[in-house]
Amino acid sequence: MSADEIVLEMRGIEKAYLTGEVVFRALKGVDLTVRRGEFLAVGGPSGSGKSTLMNLIGCLDRPTAGQYRLAGHDVSGLDADARAFVRNQLIGFIFQGFNLLARTSALENVELPLIYRGMGSSERRRRAVDALRHVGLGTKLDNTPAQLSGGQQQRVAIARALVTEPKLLLADEPTGNLDSTTTEEVLALLQSLHRDQGMTIIMVTHEPDVAQCASRIVVVRDGLIASDRRVETPRQAGVDPVSANPLLGGASS
Amino acid sequence: MIMWLMAVRLALRSLNRNKLRAALTVLGILIGVAAVVAMTALGDGAKANIERQLGALGTNLLMVFPGSNTSGGARTEAGSRPTLSEEDAEAIGRELYSVQAVAPVLSAAAQVVVGSRNTATRIQGTTVSYFRVRNWSVARGSAFTDADLRISARVCILGETVRRNLFDRGEALGATIRVGRMPCTVVGILATKGQGSFGNDYDDTIVMPISTVRARLRGLSTREVNQVLVSVRDAALMKRAEEQITSLLRQRHRISAQDENDFSVGNMQDIMATLETTRATLSALLLSVAAIALLVGGIGVMNIMLVSVTERTREIGIRLAIGARSGDILAQFLVEAVALSLLGGLAGLGLGWGAGTLLGKTMEWTVTFSPSAAVVALGTSSGIGVIFGYFPARRAAKLDPIQALRHE
Repeated sequence: MSADEIVLEMRGIEKAYLTGEVVFRALKGVDLTVRRGEFLAVGGPSGSGKSTLMNLIGCLDRPTAGQYRLAGHDVSGLDADARAFVRNQLIGFIFQGFNLLARTSALENVELPLIYRGMGSSERRRRAVDALRHVGLGTKLDNTPAQLSGGQQQRVAIARALVTEPKLLLADEPTGNLDSTTTEEVLALLQSLHRDQGMTIIMVTHEPDVAQCASRIVVVRDGLIASDRRVETPRQAGVDPVSANPLLGGASS
Repeated sequence: MIMWLMAVRLALRSLNRNKLRAALTVLGILIGVAAVVAMTALGDGAKANIERQLGALGTNLLMVFPGSNTSGGARTEAGSRPTLSEEDAEAIGRELYSVQAVAPVLSAAAQVVVGSRNTATRIQGTTVSYFRVRNWSVARGSAFTDADLRISARVCILGETVRRNLFDRGEALGATIRVGRMPCTVVGILATKGQGSFGNDYDDTIVMPISTVRARLRGLSTREVNQVLVSVRDAALMKRAEEQITSLLRQRHRISAQDENDFSVGNMQDIMATLETTRATLSALLLSVAAIALLVGGIGVMNIMLVSVTERTREIGIRLAIGARSGDILAQFLVEAVALSLLGGLAGLGLGWGAGTLLGKTMEWTVTFSPSAAVVALGTSSGIGVIFGYFPARRAAKLDPIQALRHE
């Protein structure tokens, strides 16, 4: 296993919060290694430290202790601006609530991370259009989020995450706000990114059948990784949503 | 670092989305800047006016007035006692080196009639040097001469207002008018001088030889005068000339050391200085009102920017998450605050200009718009944007991306 194959490496990561007088230890020493091309699902009950881990992986926060290497760089002790740079250069974010800028066109939303890279406007536009075409929204460039369906909004968000060509795609409950059909659509898109482009994806989810689409499932419990297993045959999203989701009860095509 | 141009575009778009809010917010700045602009224009106009009038009165002019009466402890107004004479005027001109020219003035009020037209005006009896002392030329025709003075000739020179009142478009030169009961030939028309600082019309006057006024209009047996106008050789000699005239007249009037002067010497520059002080005081007052308006406006900008930061917390979170640095966020909100107050400043500039022009027209004040006032107004408003926008912008820049993303 060569070093450049390791996208993410965490050693003894701890995170503690001071709430009033009480120190709350959200993470108590997490070790995690993610190789290039892995599709990792992170599950666990609420309060398990799952969100904290997500924030640390995304460089939105800094660990209290431990070492975190992302794409070969030690990012454990970086200050806010340096972390912003890392987020911009290495990570693509997909959020649960889409988190698109309201009253701003799909194109401009996708261009946003490139703006903060200081990229020129024509190059920026070209890349943003490409990314939107890639997620099947080539005809919706000028639509604002309010003019798009939930699934389309999430695809704009995915385009925004991909436009920077990140080393790591980080999805926080990407299907949390979507109905089952759209969920399958988005999962299929993520799977194709993983399969066809070898994109490294970390997806936080609390839904087991969503997690089953990944190639590896990590479960966090009480601030520690409780289980870490490989999925031999990931469920192919969109293939048969009926069998994939028993709640649907065969109501879908 | 986000490009500033992008920040400007973002700011304008954001303001465009909240037009009414932006308009109400900048009202304070608008009023403040408008006040500054209008006030500066009026102030500069007044100053120019005062300067023009100093020139109109004649250069380095001193005025000597006869003394006041003190009867039963109550002092009457200056000039109410005939203590100043033509001889005094002659002595001043003859004995003082610092004096360039002297003109005694004996005035009379009279009804002036020609044909079916008539007007009431002030008659100034004086000598030939009057025109030089007052820096006033005869535009058409000629001034009277020393010979006219000797024989108390019935000649007169009309101010432009009097000429217009009596002759309108007709020919005045050579015509005979009746001043009181005295017929009089018009030999000249004075150049236009315009309005004085107290709203008086310099051109509403008739000038004639002092001997004519004395003998034929006033019927006086003494050679008293109402004032003596003195033109000093050099501006630097004004103070000196004033002292010399005072001591000369005290000597001539035999005033003992413990007695007060029975005359007074007025310096037009002093009077103008007083006017200027009044103007400056008014300006300062208006400026402080403007400063308060600007302060209130600035607080308004700060307030609305704080609201805006709170409203857009989630947006800030998104921007931070995908790679905006705190400096980018700071720039975005700072530029928005500056754009907001600069818009107010521009509107205020327009309003101030309009108000100044309107005031100038309706009140017949001189208004002077200087480019520097516009620069100051716009500079001030952008400064306010920076000062009052910094705190909200900093608050936005310091947001924690995780908290901000969670914000509803």
